[in-house]
Amino acid sequence: MTLAQRIRPLRIRLLLLLAVVGPGIITANVDNDAGGITTYSVAGAHYGYSLLWMMPLVALALIIVQEMSARLGVVSGKGLADLIRERLGVRLTAIIIAILLFANLANTVSEFAGVAASMEIFGVTKYLSVPIAAVVVWLLMVKGSYKTVERIFLVASAVYLAYVASGLLARPPWDEVARSFVTPTFKLDAGFVTIFVTIIGTTIAPWMQFYQQSSIVDKGLKISDYAYERLDVVVGSLFAVVVAAFITIACAATLYANGVHIESAKDAALALGPLAGRYASALFALGLLNASVFSAAILPLSTAYVVCEAFGWEAGVDRGMKEAPIFFTVYTALIVLGAAVILLPIKSLVQTMMASQTLNGVLLPVILIVMLELINNRRLMGRFVNGRAFNALAWAIVVLLILLTVILIVVSVFPGLLG
Amino acid sequence: MAFLSELTGKIVADANGERVGRLEDVIANLRGDLPHPQIVALVVKRGGVPLLIPLADVVVLLAPAIALGKRIEDVASYHPTDHDLYLVRDVLDKQIIDTNGMRVVRVNDLELARVNSHFYIANVDIGGLGLMRRLGLAKPAEKVANRLGRKLTPGIISWDAVELLPGDQSLRLKVSSDRIADLHPADLAEIISDLSRSESSKLLDTLDVETLADTLEEVEPDFQASLVEDMSDERVADLLEEMAPDEAADLLAELPDERSQELLNLMEQDEAADVRKLLTYSENSAGGIMTTEFVAVRPDLTAEQAIAYLRKMGSEVETINYVYATDRDDRLVGVFSLQDLVLAHPRTPVAHFMHERIVTLRPSDSQDQAAQAIAKYNLLAVPVVDEEGKIQGIVTADDALDKIIPTAWKKRLPRMYR
Repeated sequence: MTLAQRIRPLRIRLLLLLAVVGPGIITANVDNDAGGITTYSVAGAHYGYSLLWMMPLVALALIIVQEMSARLGVVSGKGLADLIRERLGVRLTAIIIAILLFANLANTVSEFAGVAASMEIFGVTKYLSVPIAAVVVWLLMVKGSYKTVERIFLVASAVYLAYVASGLLARPPWDEVARSFVTPTFKLDAGFVTIFVTIIGTTIAPWMQFYQQSSIVDKGLKISDYAYERLDVVVGSLFAVVVAAFITIACAATLYANGVHIESAKDAALALGPLAGRYASALFALGLLNASVFSAAILPLSTAYVVCEAFGWEAGVDRGMKEAPIFFTVYTALIVLGAAVILLPIKSLVQTMMASQTLNGVLLPVILIVMLELINNRRLMGRFVNGRAFNALAWAIVVLLILLTVILIVVSVFPGLLG
Repeated sequence: MAFLSELTGKIVADANGERVGRLEDVIANLRGDLPHPQIVALVVKRGGVPLLIPLADVVVLLAPAIALGKRIEDVASYHPTDHDLYLVRDVLDKQIIDTNGMRVVRVNDLELARVNSHFYIANVDIGGLGLMRRLGLAKPAEKVANRLGRKLTPGIISWDAVELLPGDQSLRLKVSSDRIADLHPADLAEIISDLSRSESSKLLDTLDVETLADTLEEVEPDFQASLVEDMSDERVADLLEEMAPDEAADLLAELPDERSQELLNLMEQDEAADVRKLLTYSENSAGGIMTTEFVAVRPDLTAEQAIAYLRKMGSEVETINYVYATDRDDRLVGVFSLQDLVLAHPRTPVAHFMHERIVTLRPSDSQDQAAQAIAKYNLLAVPVVDEEGKIQGIVTADDALDKIIPTAWKKRLPRMYR
């Protein structure tokens, strides 16, 4: 069947469900999880508009990375872990999976931190909210239907539009905002480099590459759908970064302008003041809770699938513990450990959320290098290998990220060394 | 016995003791008559260039270093044929079908065996121990297992139970699809639901139309629809003709209208007519689940004539357990069972022993009513008649119960994020 034959019913579906059909768009929405919201809020509150220039560049990087993962999925019809295992051998697979497990555990911790932080706004102690959330999340996936959960989440993501509204209503100095988009600022102190790496890590998280590619394979998209998928990836990525930018602008306009530092989620909630007034906290809390719970559900699920895919173990929520022991163990362990870490006495939930995103940024180059290795394999990709310009851009991103990580380590361990 | 993972990376030296390179891959020949492929050549990486060395020139394979019997200059390069398999490139770490266990598994390692002076692929290691060996952790894993008092059972399957997934190999292999075609359709369906879409497409392409139809009938219509999406219209039309009309109608109902029309036009007239008729009925009605493939005879036929007729028509109908007697206008006048037929005197007209009080359904009756009729009267099938009493089709017991009992065993669309 030609693309034209399939696009007619697709168009109707698209119209009905707005833009929330493609894996690219869904992944982008998931991008704005607890860690994301927190990072962008802190970026705006602590650095004002000075980090906005990063956004277009990060958007470009996101599009490049997501497009590669989409192309890998569409052309090979296989998930990323599957490809790594088939093409790059067991040892490398074991290393990558170990890295991914570590990073995803950190991210799961961050999601539960989001749950705790958002419920604290309503005055619910984390010792109550987190265990309940953990149980709910576990049951949701095991007993419920992923599709329904996804739909509820996506509808509830409309809360992000609140940031756009807030950002506009806060009446920031638009000329300054516009100038910030094109004026790079960079300081060689630990705080600045950290937030730099963290923003990249939260926008282009390693686990997103695996999740998106699995989603694409799941949907059975083929090479003939490629043009549509590319569009889906670009639109999704742009949407994610636009929301991110508005979160930053809203926080800069409300918090930075009034010298408010974000110590807890309540402080971040103030950014929604222009829109929601005294309901700002509640609105923020709901948005954060929604993002956290959904991500806490799919992150362990995606990780469990990836692990089983790589090593050929049985996987599937409908299989039950007996048939798919490793799948269930990984899934359950991530949720339990993630929740358990949050129940420990932690000084700052905000810091916890951001630390995991920094980790993402540090580990991202590893995944990118692996993807570049796969996508330049002509036997695998045929005529869909990377063009020279694309490769140059992708490698530039990798080199830049590694450089940033090195700088980060240096300025953290030896502050003041680089002036 | 040696494992492929132990061989790769070994240094290869020629008769002069000169180092040639490292073993990168092993080529085996897949001649159809041998259940276990024979190793025919080695791929040695020398300075970035792969050298194909025939196995005949290798003196020692299972040693810390591989020794050739000639000088490297005297070695004639091996030319790969259509029946050759590169073990590392095409088999290791790939997914294969275990036709004994009826599942899709991943190759962790290959076990080679020596018989006289030849080497063969004996077994495939799909277990955790194979994984540990690849990671160089076999010994520690065994130590840990011993401490815990458990034995690590190797997950080994013999190569002759293995079926490679078609496609991926650049050389066109004559994959023996006999093993696959021998599997029960329900097992085939199980395997297909474990594969990704592109892999299942390729596998289905190797099946003949009969096996394909049987296999598809084991999966849910929405899954069927996704599987036939990439097939050519001609093949799908053949498939629809091969499937039972009610199954074909279910599948067509899942496809986009335009394509259904095209397919119906491609099908043989009478087959298409049957399916078109069934499509007019609502999915959940008796008309929607009935089949038009039943046996009907005139009441004046004798028992032996009826049996002769069954022999002729038997293979084309859904069931011969019940035979329906119709008059000149296709009105249902009686029914008798195969038992009645066989036990009767050969020259008795069927009208003498057929049952005239018949349980019937209307096409608009619900599936529940069909199931109730079958359960209440202990039937294997119920005829469906219109207002004039003309027989339209029959609802078999399995089809009626299918809709009521959750079809958990019927394979569904393989989705991770369901």
